[in-house]
Amino acid sequence: MSRWSYFARRVLLMIPIVFFGTTITFLVLRMGPMDPAAAVIAGAGDTEAYESVRQSLGLDQPLWLQYVEYLRDLFTLQLGYSWVVNRGRPVWELIGVYAPRTIWLGFWAVMLPLFIGLPLGFYAGLNPNTLSDYLASFGGIVWRAMPNFWLAVILVSVLTQSDQLFGFDWESWLVQTQIVTPPELQRLWVPSNFLAAFKAILPAALVLGSASMGNEMRIGRTAVLETVNENYVETARAKGVPRRTIISKHVFRNALIPLVPIITGEAFLLLGGSVLVETVFSINGLGYLFYSATINADLPLVGSLMFFFILLSVGINILQDLLYTLIDPRVGYGGEGA
Amino acid sequence: MAADANATGVDERRSSARQTQSDDVDAAESADDRLLEVENLRTVFHTERETIRAVDGVSFGIEEGETLGLVGESGSGKSVTARSIMGLVDDPGELLPGSSVRFDGRELTDLTEKGYESVRGSGIAMVFQDPLSTLNPVYTVGNQIEEALSLHRGLSGIDATEKAIELLEDVGIPDAARRVSEYPHEFSGGMRQRAVIAMALACDPDVLVCDEPTTALDVTIQAQILELLSDLQAEHGLSILFITHDMGVIAEVADRVAVMYAGEIVEQAPVVELYENPRHPYTRGLLRSIPSTQQGAERLETIAGEVPTPNKAATDCRFAPRCPEAFDACEEVHPVPVPVEEGAEDHTAACLLYPEDEPRKAAVDRHAAAGDEDSPESAGSTGGDSR
Amino acid sequence: MSAVDYPVDEDEQTLLERIQDEPGPALKLLAVVVPLFAVEFGAVASLVMSLPWSAVGSALPGFLQGLAGALAGVGDALANLPTLLSRSVIDNSGYQLPSGEWVGTTLGLSPAVAWLLRVLLVYAYGFAWMAVGWWVYLVYRDNYRYADWAPVDDMVNRFRNHSWGLLGLAIIFAFVVLALFAPALGPTTVEANISDPYLHTVEYFDEEAGSVQEIYVGDANRDSQSRGQGGDNVGPLSYDQFGRFHPFGTLPSGKDLFTFMAAGARVSLFIGVLSLLIAGGIAVTFALATAYYKGLVDLGVVIASDSIQSLPQLLFIMLASFVLSGTWLANLYSGGVVLALLFGFTGWPGLWRAVRGPALQVSEREWIDAAKSFGQRPSVTMRKHMLPYVVGYLLIYASLTLGGVIIGVAGLSFLGLGINAPTPEWGRAVSAGQPYVPTQSWHISLIPGIMVVIVVTGFNALGDGIRDAIDPQSDVGTGQQDESAAAGGGA
Ligand code: SF4
Repeated sequence: MSRWSYFARRVLLMIPIVFFGTTITFLVLRMGPMDPAAAVIAGAGDTEAYESVRQSLGLDQPLWLQYVEYLRDLFTLQLGYSWVVNRGRPVWELIGVYAPRTIWLGFWAVMLPLFIGLPLGFYAGLNPNTLSDYLASFGGIVWRAMPNFWLAVILVSVLTQSDQLFGFDWESWLVQTQIVTPPELQRLWVPSNFLAAFKAILPAALVLGSASMGNEMRIGRTAVLETVNENYVETARAKGVPRRTIISKHVFRNALIPLVPIITGEAFLLLGGSVLVETVFSINGLGYLFYSATINADLPLVGSLMFFFILLSVGINILQDLLYTLIDPRVGYGGEGA
Repeated sequence: MAADANATGVDERRSSARQTQSDDVDAAESADDRLLEVENLRTVFHTERETIRAVDGVSFGIEEGETLGLVGESGSGKSVTARSIMGLVDDPGELLPGSSVRFDGRELTDLTEKGYESVRGSGIAMVFQDPLSTLNPVYTVGNQIEEALSLHRGLSGIDATEKAIELLEDVGIPDAARRVSEYPHEFSGGMRQRAVIAMALACDPDVLVCDEPTTALDVTIQAQILELLSDLQAEHGLSILFITHDMGVIAEVADRVAVMYAGEIVEQAPVVELYENPRHPYTRGLLRSIPSTQQGAERLETIAGEVPTPNKAATDCRFAPRCPEAFDACEEVHPVPVPVEEGAEDHTAACLLYPEDEPRKAAVDRHAAAGDEDSPESAGSTGGDSR
Repeated sequence: MSAVDYPVDEDEQTLLERIQDEPGPALKLLAVVVPLFAVEFGAVASLVMSLPWSAVGSALPGFLQGLAGALAGVGDALANLPTLLSRSVIDNSGYQLPSGEWVGTTLGLSPAVAWLLRVLLVYAYGFAWMAVGWWVYLVYRDNYRYADWAPVDDMVNRFRNHSWGLLGLAIIFAFVVLALFAPALGPTTVEANISDPYLHTVEYFDEEAGSVQEIYVGDANRDSQSRGQGGDNVGPLSYDQFGRFHPFGTLPSGKDLFTFMAAGARVSLFIGVLSLLIAGGIAVTFALATAYYKGLVDLGVVIASDSIQSLPQLLFIMLASFVLSGTWLANLYSGGVVLALLFGFTGWPGLWRAVRGPALQVSEREWIDAAKSFGQRPSVTMRKHMLPYVVGYLLIYASLTLGGVIIGVAGLSFLGLGINAPTPEWGRAVSAGQPYVPTQSWHISLIPGIMVVIVVTGFNALGDGIRDAIDPQSDVGTGQQDESAAAGGGA
């Protein structure tokens, strides 16, 4: 099987996964103990209002038909409307408003570890058993054991008090930003806007990326350590390849292979973790939207958002396979199972 | 592959090898003129508990166009010898002072990593044991050959690719133009080793160090690779250091043989001489352990016991615990390589039984005296060295 | 990869017979274990009784309810037996007279010292059990095991030399003792201090009145609050004005943080262990089945597990626990059971991925084919020949996942979901202390957070230790599962 037909197979496999993931959501929402219509009304409305909600949600139909329509709507990307949180607004519109903040947060939460944690790990791996190696390894271990929400709480407090604590005011540093507020994402191509948006998201992104940073440091270190001892590295030395080329050409690319699933896996974790970080930093993003939709019993919105998340996570999986296929020519060789 | 069955083959090979060498090489038997000269090589590895003396005072030389077989059990220090020559010994390993590796008259042991880079490949190239792990899995075979070509011959682009294809053809890879852009995992074991050899040749070396190049391959392919090596040797005038644990393979490829045991060379002789007239008790044991066709499927006779891992300078014969001919002095005197008998300068053995034609007592004294000369250096370097 | 390569043949004698043949060491062992157990028998009974039996009971059909009621009576009686580690053995509640003298505490010790002594006693007791466990292993290995040597001996030896893994073990030991003996360890109890403060009183010496007064704990708590800058604060290792010692200080509500943390440890451990039993059970069953049958079965489980993993775990649990709120399930153990179920059912894919490789590997061995060829039933083959090999790997990831579950549960309760108040949960303490982090009441958020970091690091270290013990050559390829396992859904 060639690399690309393997890749195609992986992509095909995503279809049943979206299908089953959506089915699980349906089971929880429609067959669970909670009546979505009643939840939307929250006891406030009368029977008439209740009936009309039931009807417009299609709850008066037999379950199998509900299921078919549910799937049909989602798979044709008709995500419906919010019923409680932002009554009557189309879900797509809400996503349009909330998603950019989460994407901005998630983007930096992936990039910061990639550009800080990974180089540190690689550096530690190339200089094993030195002081900086020990620091990086130990830091990585502790860093990844820290709960994001806790780190966020601490960071918010420290930054709001930075003036008293360190005699340096974070909020007015470089550009005026607030700590506990959603970032302004208008006209990012203007450098000052970009800087402000970046600075506003930086603490949250650092927190959200903290676990990844620790992981990438650790795994990067091990991967480099193991690759350096591979025979082909010795072979490259034996044919006179200079050290720099050995490291940049022969070590790094191979060391990246085990890191691909780590990095994409983390991108996926960010989806779930964003709830807490967004709550602490008051970033009105998708995680926060999902959270408030849940506690306000806006189940139609919750279902649609969940479908959106499933699509995102499947997308990340496809990206992972694509990266794999690009980096590692052995992919799909030797009949590795699905 | 019986020892005596091979003897004739060895004879032919040897004489043909002789023909390729000009007569003046024979005349200049003086050590310094040989292409690669290893002298008193000591490579140690520091572990937390002790210092392992993986190679402990090895000396040999290889002439132009000659194949020296280095043979020994695993753990005897063969591979470390090869890596020491290539300058590939890293922390926690090191070459002890006094070790010398001269290539083309140039001392290599004082070179920096940077300096070594110019010798590796173009001067001395290496072929490793496991062809799969030797090739970087994420680059095409062609890419890895071209890397060597651009480093040592300044070729790049189409020129490099063409040369790479040519090299692949030279090592007998069919359909080379297509295979040059394939990845190592798409090659079979034998083809991979051919590709590795092509990669080594791409550097245009004078000396080829082959570390168990056929061990990972099955017998028929093994024979093909050996044939390929000897063809290439004739074609390019290569000198080869051929390392193996397999006495049968050595018989086919080597002009001279050095037998290693526990970090030392215990016997060194021209191949025919060694097979017909092995002197060191260890060599005799090794030769008996070759599966013999005459005896059919009879069980191999192996030498009982294991190769010790030395961690201090020897004060005895390291083979003594396993040696069938050991006597009292073997526990007290460390043997050094000496001619096996008067006048047999090209056949040496490190055993107290030799020189055979001297009285035993005199021979032992001779070893003891040679050992004492050596000892200040060797004793001094072990005492405080174990961290 | 030669962890459990050679399943030992059926022993000729059963273990019982071998003990009968040579009863000496076993009797000696028993002579220690029985008293050790006896002194705490009452506590075990009360632990059993503290499970949410009433909820179970009410779900039972009528005639069983009577039986359950009778059992509960017996259980309660047993639970009231005096025990070595009960709070009254070393009592730390009392009041201080102006002379500095303590009244009511054991031997008149100061509450801090009395509390510390009790903590030490509890940990000594816990340690004794650990030592006994080690001893049991030795006795079994040396006296009663059929085989002189088993692969597990090597693993144990490797683990004993793995200082990082041992550190993890020590941390987890401390954590488990904290959870198990929570009622005895706190300077006060959850009932008296946190859940029913107006049903309990404390005595203190009122300087103004010049006499000993009694006050509701709830009222006393109002004067022992920690509210940061300018406000009241009872920091770590200090007394409040009622002579109550607070090792970790108090919460903003004036409740004792240590008692809260100890009870919270119990909740975390309960959810972690139960969810892992569920996830591990599913994962191992699937891993064995997929390795045995391969093909379509494997593909089916791949799709099922990928589907579950395509749902962001934390968000899905949030949703499902909301949907389940209001059902009887949600009231079990203040919502702990629901969380455990949800973490279990969403967590198995990770564990399954981790043990699938080893299971596949062992399924390629000759003895599996041999077992198949003489017609062994698949379930027996899987259990006898494949399971032992897989269990070790499961332990590694179980340890890592446990840390993740603890973070996840804390994250949910930080948001006010998951565990219902007033049942303590670490995340809620972080949340309660959030406004006070930069003030003198920093301890409220900081201590629980640091505890999470330590415990999670402990589980990670333990997992690393087990991995190196089982499979010294393990490589970076196993990294992926580790890292996401330990992440707790990104909380
Ligand atoms: S020196 Fe003695 S022990 Fe060593 S090989 Fe010769 S005879 Fe045997």
